[in-house]
Amino acid sequence: MANHPETELGPYVRGELAPSERERVARHLEACPDCRQDAERVRALLTELGDSVPVAPAVNWGRYRAELRLKLDARRARRRAWWSRPLPLALSASLAGVLLFFAVWSGWRSPGVEPMTPEEAIIGRRLDLLRQYSVVERLDLLEEFDVIRSLDQLAGTQEG
Amino acid sequence: MAYRDEAAFDLLVARYQERAYRLAWSILRNAEDARDLSQEAFIRLYQSASSFAGRAKFSTWFYRILVNLCLDHRRKGRGWRLWLRDEPDPDSGESLLDRQPAPFADPVDALGRERTLTKVWAAVDRLAPQQRAAVILQVQEELTTPEIAAVLKCSEATVRVHLHRALRTLKKTMETS
Repeated sequence: MANHPETELGPYVRGELAPSERERVARHLEACPDCRQDAERVRALLTELGDSVPVAPAVNWGRYRAELRLKLDARRARRRAWWSRPLPLALSASLAGVLLFFAVWSGWRSPGVEPMTPEEAIIGRRLDLLRQYSVVERLDLLEEFDVIRSLDQLAGTQEG
Repeated sequence: MAYRDEAAFDLLVARYQERAYRLAWSILRNAEDARDLSQEAFIRLYQSASSFAGRAKFSTWFYRILVNLCLDHRRKGRGWRLWLRDEPDPDSGESLLDRQPAPFADPVDALGRERTLTKVWAAVDRLAPQQRAAVILQVQEELTTPEIAAVLKCSEATVRVHLHRALRTLKKTMETS
């Protein structure tokens, strides 16, 4: 007999199938002794397993909850600490401000790209410089970024 | 819980602590790890309580957090160090055989049955993680197939396949014992 309802036997013996599915499996079991035997084995195995679930070692629940409370407090303190640290917050805000300033400033300074003359294009193709053009154009800005990156060191040297 | 009420959280822990620990232990078979991970599940629950929209049953949502933590832990390899077999439990010093109830009057039959069950549960431990979780959720936690699917975040058809393969393996173990 084709289409044995193998994966449905478990849900069938547990009474989980929808009425139409249940009906279909039941009809199949009436006609298929192998599946009927299989269903009985599944039922027996599930019963055996259910009756013999290994017992977990005992726990002191008062201590368990106390430990949990400590862990939770530690986690909350760690989270709060990150946000409430004034230095990283101030530093991030300053850096964001500086970056915003340079973004606006560079936009203001380069209103648009001038059209390329045919001679420039030919030279560019030959020398493969055009791909680097946007980088070369912003070299001064990149230097500024180096300065920004080293701001904390500069502050340190000035104080010292 | 959604507004992180401390008293509600304490109540919830008291209500679910035993189930959480038992389920974690069934997957990990190590009391210390089970304690740690079930506590971690409560912490995650506390931190993400506001994201619980109430679409799923609360227990299903919590089981999902816990089972994921346990499966991740086992996947990382730390949890696989202890296989059930006949090894003594590190916490109680008892073997599984000692921890099983002996309901039969005939000691020979009872011993044979216990040995078989020991082997079957050892086989449960050797199942693929998803199959193992599905079996434990069904047999121990008595979850239905749709609930197991919600916990494991897969389709009901996939759960049926997991359970079918697991039961096939376990039947073979039982028959050869």
